[in-house]
Amino acid sequence: MTNDLTTWLDNLLAELDGISVRRTSRRRLRVEVASDALPALLELLRGRASFVHLSAISCVDWIDAGQFELVYHCWSYETQSLVSVHTRIPREPGVYISVYDIYTPAAFFERDIHEMFGVWFEGSPDLSKFILTEWDGPPPMRKDFDSEAWVNQHFDWQDYHPDWLKDLEARGGGIAVPPDEQRFSRRTVDET
Amino acid sequence: MRDIDHQDRGGLLGPLKNLSFFARQPITEPLGPRPAAANYRGFHLNDWDLCIGCSTCQKVCDNAAITMVKVPGLPEDPVKGIRNLRPAIDYGRCCWCALCVDLCPTGSIALSCEYVHTCLDSELDSYFILPDARGIHGTPYPKGWAKSTDADLVALDRQPMTEQAPAERIGNFSEIVAGYDAHQALIEASRCVQCGMCHDACPTHMHAPEYIRAIWKGDLEGAVREIYRTNPFAHTCGRVCTHRCETACSVGHRGAPIAIRWLKRYAMDAVDHARVKQIAAEGRADFISGKRVAIVGAGPAGLTAAFDLVRQGHDVTVLEAQAQGGGMVRYGIPDYRMPADRLDRDLDVIISLGVKIRYNTRVGVDLTMERLRAEYDAVVLGVGLWMGRSTRVPGADQAGVKRAVDLLRAVAAGEAIEVPQSAVIIGGGNVAMDSARTLARLQQQRYGEVRITLTALEDLDHFLADADEIREAREEGVQILEARGPQEILMREGQVAGLRTWGVRSIFDGAGRFAPSYEPADEQIHAGDMVVEAIGQAADVALLGEALTEVLQWHRGRLQVDGQGRTNLEWLWAAGDMVRGPDVVSAVADGHRVADSIHAYLSVQEHAP
Amino acid sequence: MRPENYEAQRQPPSYDYELNIGPNHPGIEGNYAFKLRLNGDRVIAGRADAGYLHRGFEKLMEGRLWIQNLAITPRICVPDPVPMEVSYCLAVEDLCGLVVPERAQWLRVMQLELSRIAAHLFIFGGHAATTGMYTPMFWGIADRDLILDLFEEMTGGRVYHIYNIPGGVRRDLPDGFGERVANTLDYLESRLPDYDNLLFTNQVFVHRAQGCGPISQQQALEWGVTGPNLRATGLKFDVRRDDPYLVYDQLEFEIPTEEPGDAWARALVRRREIKESIRIIRQVVARLPTLAGPIRCPIPNPLAWNVPAGSTYTRVESSKGELAWYVVSDGGERPYRTHVRGPSQMHAVQVLEQLAIGCRIEDVAQIMFSLDACPPEVDR
Repeated sequence: MTNDLTTWLDNLLAELDGISVRRTSRRRLRVEVASDALPALLELLRGRASFVHLSAISCVDWIDAGQFELVYHCWSYETQSLVSVHTRIPREPGVYISVYDIYTPAAFFERDIHEMFGVWFEGSPDLSKFILTEWDGPPPMRKDFDSEAWVNQHFDWQDYHPDWLKDLEARGGGIAVPPDEQRFSRRTVDET
Repeated sequence: MRDIDHQDRGGLLGPLKNLSFFARQPITEPLGPRPAAANYRGFHLNDWDLCIGCSTCQKVCDNAAITMVKVPGLPEDPVKGIRNLRPAIDYGRCCWCALCVDLCPTGSIALSCEYVHTCLDSELDSYFILPDARGIHGTPYPKGWAKSTDADLVALDRQPMTEQAPAERIGNFSEIVAGYDAHQALIEASRCVQCGMCHDACPTHMHAPEYIRAIWKGDLEGAVREIYRTNPFAHTCGRVCTHRCETACSVGHRGAPIAIRWLKRYAMDAVDHARVKQIAAEGRADFISGKRVAIVGAGPAGLTAAFDLVRQGHDVTVLEAQAQGGGMVRYGIPDYRMPADRLDRDLDVIISLGVKIRYNTRVGVDLTMERLRAEYDAVVLGVGLWMGRSTRVPGADQAGVKRAVDLLRAVAAGEAIEVPQSAVIIGGGNVAMDSARTLARLQQQRYGEVRITLTALEDLDHFLADADEIREAREEGVQILEARGPQEILMREGQVAGLRTWGVRSIFDGAGRFAPSYEPADEQIHAGDMVVEAIGQAADVALLGEALTEVLQWHRGRLQVDGQGRTNLEWLWAAGDMVRGPDVVSAVADGHRVADSIHAYLSVQEHAP
Repeated sequence: MRPENYEAQRQPPSYDYELNIGPNHPGIEGNYAFKLRLNGDRVIAGRADAGYLHRGFEKLMEGRLWIQNLAITPRICVPDPVPMEVSYCLAVEDLCGLVVPERAQWLRVMQLELSRIAAHLFIFGGHAATTGMYTPMFWGIADRDLILDLFEEMTGGRVYHIYNIPGGVRRDLPDGFGERVANTLDYLESRLPDYDNLLFTNQVFVHRAQGCGPISQQQALEWGVTGPNLRATGLKFDVRRDDPYLVYDQLEFEIPTEEPGDAWARALVRRREIKESIRIIRQVVARLPTLAGPIRCPIPNPLAWNVPAGSTYTRVESSKGELAWYVVSDGGERPYRTHVRGPSQMHAVQVLEQLAIGCRIEDVAQIMFSLDACPPEVDR
């Protein structure tokens, strides 16, 4: 039964123009679609193919390509499969259409993406600030925002002077390699 | 059907059932501290005897909680790969993930079974600790999360190197190792934890972490660029380097060190030779200084100095007695370890930068040192160790007794030599192994069998040769006899017939001086048509001429130089084996030192009125 | 929002008033604010206000090595950290094509289900407390501590275990652990009737919970409700069964459902799930001795590990609902992008705002707790 539905879905999607479909596993389907065709596709998925659950909308900032990638993860309780619909929009001006009229949960994800990436969703019910209420800097999840640099500008490292350190310094030792010089948990490290 | 006793309207009595709890024994927990579970991730412990200060913990710490602190008085030995640094932990940042434990190369770091640390604001410094084996509060809590094979993240196993099997390789002089392929190189490079112990241990301080990283990233040209920062004998050192880097490698403490030498070999072989030349030429001075430097000897030391000086805009001429360059690398190291065509590539890079080499020009015969002094602004001696030492046992002056350096040079130069049906080698160093294995190949080619006996004063554990060399020589059929002292060359009908040896009682006397004593009762005769003496070499300094020899300062038969390789004469430097002892990479390091010193000297001259 | 930055909204004169619950309030789960507009004690509108726990984890993870991110993942959801770890590892494994040894998969299931029980006990007590009954809360937290003891032994950490690693887990079980798990499970099982007595036969709880914050199945699907909250509306759906991961397809367990979709139904579903999780763990304990072998497949040196380019969406069933990671690699040493989809992102915002309308002020806290909304999941 499930397999029949899966085949049916594959066939349905295959008939549509301008989309590329790749089945990555039995329950996962990756669909790429042009941004202007996406709402119609979601409409189709929800209305005709039982994908009633919008699991999430993810946004990826492909800064080098000058694009935002929006990924709509839709789940069907009937076919028990997940379709991830990928689309790309230009990073500037970063405006897209809301799918709130198709999926209610989109309101949260669109608000979140607007706040974190600065994408404006036309028709979304509420794009007001949510998590970053008092933030007036650039949308922080954008790749060109360096959160660590911001933190270093605004906060001080704890300055420790324990006795053992004073003692070592008196004997000619002391801090040789501060953590910032060596650690790998920072993107800039091995670019140097 | 109902698995839960619930009521749709609810009652009052149900909850009252739990009043029975008043009749139960209360649960009490003792107030005293309890140790946590055996795997608990508490506060850091560090075994200072195991810790080598490599700072890998600092690299993997995702919160920048680790500071490396210099502790004076702790052992510090770059050659062994030990630094006097120890990690200090900032508990304002630590998140207790224990990746520092799992990636610690030595296994010195662990976390304790201790739960709590807290303090007043005024004692905030207590959040920054320098852990040792006693723990944060100095109280004995047992080790919790420690190194385990399950969670160990250090890749301990080396990528195997494909080699010719003994039966296959004994019949030819082609290189034994096949080299890594791209996949092997990538995996091997990925094992590196970037601690830089190799860099510190290397005589010429090669940027091994950087080129290993570049190889891992697939940036082979970048790797070559890093290699050429410090070593123009890149192909050579990718093959025959004594790889002190690998001895110091921190991964080697519990596993096999990164195959740094083979990775260098891989990078050099993988990049197109024409591109290597371009990379080596990057950063070369775009002016001509007008200063002239003469270098005697086209070996690693001399040519490295030449490479540096040419890059700095000086005019360099190298005078070489042999028909080809490379010095001992060409004439002392057999082809199965160091193929001549790879050495040619190294030389080609150096020559392409503008170094002029005059071959077949023997200083002291074809032209004098005095003339060099007159024609050049500075002179470097880098003549290598070409004079084999003799055992001076009776018969050692016979024609059938060869010095290893002469033998190896003749083979390398392609001269016809008489291949003995059986041979005895005296000596336990790498040169002895080279001689034995070279003769073994010639015998195999000529007679189809190997009959070589190698005798050395030392017992096997104290052989000077690399363990690999000994193993491979044995695999190739060389019979190795330890602790034998040569007594006499045996003759039959005017021809060398063998060597008589006695067992060795001891090599050094009570004061540590070389004074071997023998056990005459333990006498053996080793048959051989040829005896090869491979017990050491010296530099032939006759080229200096009497007058110069007189004014130069000497130390135990070696030319005395300062830290920069300069002799007591302002215009004369010396470098390489003749001042350092035999080692390619030390010679390269020496070449750099001398070049720096000369460049400084020439620059000062320039500015002087 | 800091108090000094708060400005009361200007409204036409009326008897309506505004009330902030949180960010520090016993009626709110965690640091979270719910701003109510009230008329009398009747809620006219509610507005969720998050951000008090925002640590920028998704951004942080873009700057850290694949393995270093393990330390971050459990911290996204404090009461139920394990599904975060596991689903992140599943994502990395999927991208790398790593095959996790079977033993490790069973160990993960054990850890996941222990975590589910711990989280349910936690919220179970919390829910009771919002109806004025604090005993179940004390009990829930005390009994949860027994599971934390097991975690301490199994993983080395009580709350943040960092036990999973791409490719498997970091430690095998200590000796005799199966027995101690069995003992704890027996004890917890014996405690369930005590909880039932206090809650489900209790007139106070019954009256307060029944009919409180009802969600119809239709609404649940519309609003993206998942997990126990969805099952409380009668839909038999569980990621473990219907989109299986690890070895859940080899385990026997029921998916409890209830029809009414109110706070009462949600509490009952959780209560039943505790029982099912106990059942699952018992199967794991019985199975583990038959599974020898490694607990981790070989992985590269963490300092030099490029994950092949690609993206993946891995879902698991956390104690609160559908939890998923969308992980994108550009082939580098660090994730290009990680996006966590926590169930509370729906439950604590849109669903809560909807359910609050028209309810009475004293039910707001109950609704939030009965939804098991976890603010750190919203904030990340």
